[in-house]
Amino acid sequence: MLDIVFVGATALFVIVAILYVRACERMRGAKS
Amino acid sequence: MTANGWFQILFFLLVIFLVTKPIGIFMARVFNREKTSLDLVLRPIEKLLYRLAGVDENHEMRWTEYTVAMLLFSGVSMTLLYLIERTQKWLPFNPQKLPNVEPGLAFGTAASFTTNTNWQSYVPETTMSYFTQMAGLTYHNFVSAAVGIVLAIVVIRGIARRETDKLGNFWVDTTRCLLWVLLPVCLAGSLVLVSQGVIQNLKPYTTVELTEPQTVQVSGADGKTTSQRVTQQVIAQGPAASQEVIKEFGTNGGGFFNANSAHPFENPTPLSNFFELVLIFAIPSGLTYTLGRMTRSQRHGWAVWAAMAFLFFAGVTVTYWAEAKGNRLLAGADQRASALHSGGNMEGKEVRFGIANSALFATVTTDASCGAVNGMHDSFTPLGGMVPLINIMLGEVLFGGVGAGLYGIFVFVALAVFIAGLMVGRTPEYLGKKIESYDVKMAMLAVLILTFTILGFSAFAVAEPFGTAGISNPGPHGLSQVLYAYVSSAGNNGSAFAGINANTMWYNTSTAVAQLLGRFFMIIPIMAIAGNLARKKTVPESTGTFPVTGALFTTLLVSTILIVGALTFFPALSLGPILEHLLMAAGKAF
Repeated sequence: MLDIVFVGATALFVIVAILYVRACERMRGAKS
Repeated sequence: MTANGWFQILFFLLVIFLVTKPIGIFMARVFNREKTSLDLVLRPIEKLLYRLAGVDENHEMRWTEYTVAMLLFSGVSMTLLYLIERTQKWLPFNPQKLPNVEPGLAFGTAASFTTNTNWQSYVPETTMSYFTQMAGLTYHNFVSAAVGIVLAIVVIRGIARRETDKLGNFWVDTTRCLLWVLLPVCLAGSLVLVSQGVIQNLKPYTTVELTEPQTVQVSGADGKTTSQRVTQQVIAQGPAASQEVIKEFGTNGGGFFNANSAHPFENPTPLSNFFELVLIFAIPSGLTYTLGRMTRSQRHGWAVWAAMAFLFFAGVTVTYWAEAKGNRLLAGADQRASALHSGGNMEGKEVRFGIANSALFATVTTDASCGAVNGMHDSFTPLGGMVPLINIMLGEVLFGGVGAGLYGIFVFVALAVFIAGLMVGRTPEYLGKKIESYDVKMAMLAVLILTFTILGFSAFAVAEPFGTAGISNPGPHGLSQVLYAYVSSAGNNGSAFAGINANTMWYNTSTAVAQLLGRFFMIIPIMAIAGNLARKKTVPESTGTFPVTGALFTTLLVSTILIVGALTFFPALSLGPILEHLLMAAGKAF
């Protein structure tokens, strides 16, 4: 059970980090 | 302090100065895909790897594609290491029949080695099989170092390139870094270490009879103490040399043995100690030259090097002074250096290294994001132990981790240039590129991620029983232990104030999260700056341009690092090591 939690947490972190990349890129597009 | 000690420290700095240029030129050639002397052997291997993996070596990536490739690669590698740890008892090269690593520790270790932290809350020789050490941990020592280096190269390309959004290919850069930079040096370097006595074998552990059997007191489960006669000792073996060399050269720091570079099988002689110290700073120092070469401003590269060297020297001076001075509470003990002993505070230090080399190692390993130790930082004097803490708090930019040091100091350079621009009332420029609001926002995001991660987790840990349960000393030293754990984790250093018991579910998972945030959430805004800079036109230098090459720039850079880095953490330091020092001076110990 804990294995699924930790592997899932790793995948979740990568997804959040990719969203963070997109957010940083969008901030550049929105710069004044 | 002794003349001999100072000579060794200055000689070390001289050697680092001398290796900077050749290493810097070599790396610039490797990443510019220019000819090198190793091409004849390595180029066919490189081409074969691309063919097998389906990589188009001429495809260049935008910063977003490059970063996502790095994140996916790291995520898959981390999962693979987790699975190796969790299944090691069924895998080969496990002569001690070690069981599978329990989930919390496996997760913490996987995050730790993926992020180049190598924080170890376990005893390697009783926890990790040879297979896990070789295929899991040493593999990560190579690839996490390569990832750091190629990200620094992307930052340099972002500064050097004009009006493009292409910054290179992650797979090509990483492959070239591994084949040309890391593997050749590690192959040769491991043999140097073997020549000094570092072991390299796959034998089961050796059991020997003690020449002087000992009687020890053992506490049973019922709390009763009994005497036990110990007549045998188990001596751990293993493939240490191959991990040892990349541990330093890749600024990873995770020891093959629990005692790390204090263990005679990892670091047997003063010569091996010196070699390991040079390995730690070699790439970070060389990258400053690579920066100058690739941006065609060699004087800028040296100005950055000078700032790093100045702060390094200041740090080692304080540590050496504090440790050589000793502990004034040990009244009656002879703490003066003499021909017979090193003097000073020798608790937690190896006699074969003494005060000077222990202080130097502690400073170097925390200036870089290495985390290897040849003495126990927990046993340093309060001020001597504060310097490693500060070094990591500054962002490990004083030469720094491989790649991480350069892209870390790039943040401070951007801020220094921005501050200079504010002072003269002009749009700040950096090597012909205008530094605009987006760049400064991203730079501050990178700085704040580290700050929030360290202080947030530390505050939570000292306020909750599961955090304070791991503390071995009460009072300000206990705060230092917790603070050091999160500073070391978020800074991806990996060294520890060894007094803390961090092998708990809370510390294993919270330090893992701190490591992941400190590594990847800091990298992403820096990559965003690199991508933004590459798109810009170059503006010609004018009389109003703030020069980034001379002593004035170096001074401003040093000031920015100290103001942003040190002042952020001053309240925490004042409650930890500074208060402990003052109380020690008043005669109170913990």
